[in-house]
Amino acid sequence: MSNALSRAVERYGAFRDERYALPVLVAVSLVVLAAIPFLRQLALFGYAPLGWLSLNMLIVTLIWATTAQAWNIMSGYTGQFSFGHAAFFGLGAYTTIILTGTLGVSPWIGMLLGSVLSGIYGLLIGALTFRYDLEGHYFALATLAFAELLRYVFTNVPQLGGASGFFRPLAREYADGPGLAAFQFTGDLPYYYLILGFLTIVTVVSLAINRSQLGYYLFAIREREQAAAAIGVPTYRYKLLAVAVSAFFTAWPGAFWAMYFNTIRPTTVFELLVNVEILLPAIVGGIGTVLGPIVGSFVVIPVGEFVRQSFSVPGLNNAVYGVILIAIVLYSPKGVVSWPSRFVELLRSRTDLLDDDGA
Amino acid sequence: MLSSFLPDACCREAAAVALASAPDVPASAPDVPASAADALGGLAALAGAFDALGTQAVLGVSLPSPTIFAQYFVFAVLLGGIYGLVALGLTMIFGVMDVINFAHGALMVVAMYAVLVFSDATGLSPFFAIPFAVLLLFVVGVLIYRSTIAPIIDAPQENQLIVTFGVLLILISAVEMVFGSDPQQLGLDLGSLEISGVFVPQGQLYALVIALVALAGTWLFLQRTMLGRAIRGTADNRDGAQYVGIDVPRIDALTFGIGAALAGLAGGVIPLFQSFTPALGDQYLINAFVVVVLGGLGSFPGAFVGGLIIGFIQVFGSAYLGGSTYQIVIFLAFILVLLVKPEGLLGGSADE
Repeated sequence: MSNALSRAVERYGAFRDERYALPVLVAVSLVVLAAIPFLRQLALFGYAPLGWLSLNMLIVTLIWATTAQAWNIMSGYTGQFSFGHAAFFGLGAYTTIILTGTLGVSPWIGMLLGSVLSGIYGLLIGALTFRYDLEGHYFALATLAFAELLRYVFTNVPQLGGASGFFRPLAREYADGPGLAAFQFTGDLPYYYLILGFLTIVTVVSLAINRSQLGYYLFAIREREQAAAAIGVPTYRYKLLAVAVSAFFTAWPGAFWAMYFNTIRPTTVFELLVNVEILLPAIVGGIGTVLGPIVGSFVVIPVGEFVRQSFSVPGLNNAVYGVILIAIVLYSPKGVVSWPSRFVELLRSRTDLLDDDGA
Repeated sequence: MLSSFLPDACCREAAAVALASAPDVPASAPDVPASAADALGGLAALAGAFDALGTQAVLGVSLPSPTIFAQYFVFAVLLGGIYGLVALGLTMIFGVMDVINFAHGALMVVAMYAVLVFSDATGLSPFFAIPFAVLLLFVVGVLIYRSTIAPIIDAPQENQLIVTFGVLLILISAVEMVFGSDPQQLGLDLGSLEISGVFVPQGQLYALVIALVALAGTWLFLQRTMLGRAIRGTADNRDGAQYVGIDVPRIDALTFGIGAALAGLAGGVIPLFQSFTPALGDQYLINAFVVVVLGGLGSFPGAFVGGLIIGFIQVFGSAYLGGSTYQIVIFLAFILVLLVKPEGLLGGSADE
């Protein structure tokens, strides 16, 4: 038994060191995600182990996984810790719904414009903060200020919806009715696959950056910016690029949010807590890793939603988020994705000891 | 609401039109952070003052009159003092430990409810409850430091930020679970002084006096005691402090405790003049960040200068711009200072 286990551990250890390990793991995870809506109906002896996962909960989980994945490209890869990604999320949501609701434009065009707008806002934030060398606390507070600024702009300008925000327009007001073209569906299942598609795209982009020269530049900036600059990495330009890409993709789940839920208001898309919900999965799963945001989201969001839905105690899910955040930062700052490797190391060191004893 | 009484609304058009159009204006009202409306309008006495303005508006008297200007000025100074007090603990923890305490607003909320519970339970005046809240928050602060901050004090700054945010979530949820999220108040009507037509709400006046006493007390403690000197030494140079035999972890625990106690004081005085909810902490927290950065992270006088700036922007902004537009001005000022002079207007560490 112990032999079989150690062999399995060895095999996993060898697999983990291969260059193709990460893409394979990502592909497997995405396939599992695609199968989950069916797996949850699977019953063993009349008991469905995943039955408590509602589609709605899964969709919310994937929304935050996508935002965290986009946040990770900037903050995880380059180490520029953004506490204001709600700005990009909200811009995506608002641009989509304003263009669709008032001009009858396709939500897809709204989403595209929203993400371009987000990217521009990201460039503006980046240009100002990087130019003036804001770091650490100052950078986090500056990004937060840019997000809060938008919250109050949208709250106080009646043309932008004011405090009461917007209702999602009916699909037949701007299209032939629900469907992919209208970005609205009658059931939850198509929404699930749509957000899974978004997550897949952002994850592939993240993986591609991770494996490219661009990625190495970004990691160099994260590890030691001055050294990176000294060997000729144009740090300012690459940080800007990271912000723009990250902001662009954060707007997608924002647009999805606007088309999935009935209303958007400044308090639902720009609020302080949104900034945290965006980065929470990445931190829990593992900052700067490709799988971290997805894994983290599936650790945090279902637990929070489960707590929220099963105990009618308002705020309890936030307390759970708080406990998870603190526990992860204190005890496992590399996140949940580091656990298998730690397990392997643990077993390896133990089997090594055993071998030594035997010899 | 407020905007119907406001000078620029009345000057723009015939006063009657301004009043008639009022229902349109508060499109932004329902969700607007209540801080301004509460801090200004929550006072029974102020209703009278604004009523007077409203009457003047109807009569078409050109505004602002010196009295009204003086009234706004008084409000701005009072509010600014409170913001200064709110920022004091935040700036102290930053100056000494280089930690941004996101839980500061949540600690204030705990103090607000502690005052409520204490004065309900004992039947004593809330003024006796404030020292209780301060002591309680000192203990809470030390516990938070020992359990969550101390283990990661040398980790990257983001980690501490995340952990204090986790504390914020837990504290606010706990308060919400016990007390619900409906507004609470002490039912205390301290009334207001009237000085030649200008109202000075007493609750805020007491709060301002307490803020100034707290500033003076903390200042004296830092300047005149050995412990205070040790704290300043640690703020200046943590390694150096360690080398000369200062127990830096103990100083950190003490600093975090004092910072939390100051949050307790700020939270404790707020029920004197305002109704409160668990969400009130966030509103004060965000502006306290602005105050701290404006004044200079770690600077005590800076906290009050920054507080006054925000107080003036908020009071005159909500008077002349309507809604919570003043908050946009606050963030623009914040971003400008962050970019041009990130060390703040009076930048420096806690000992300057």
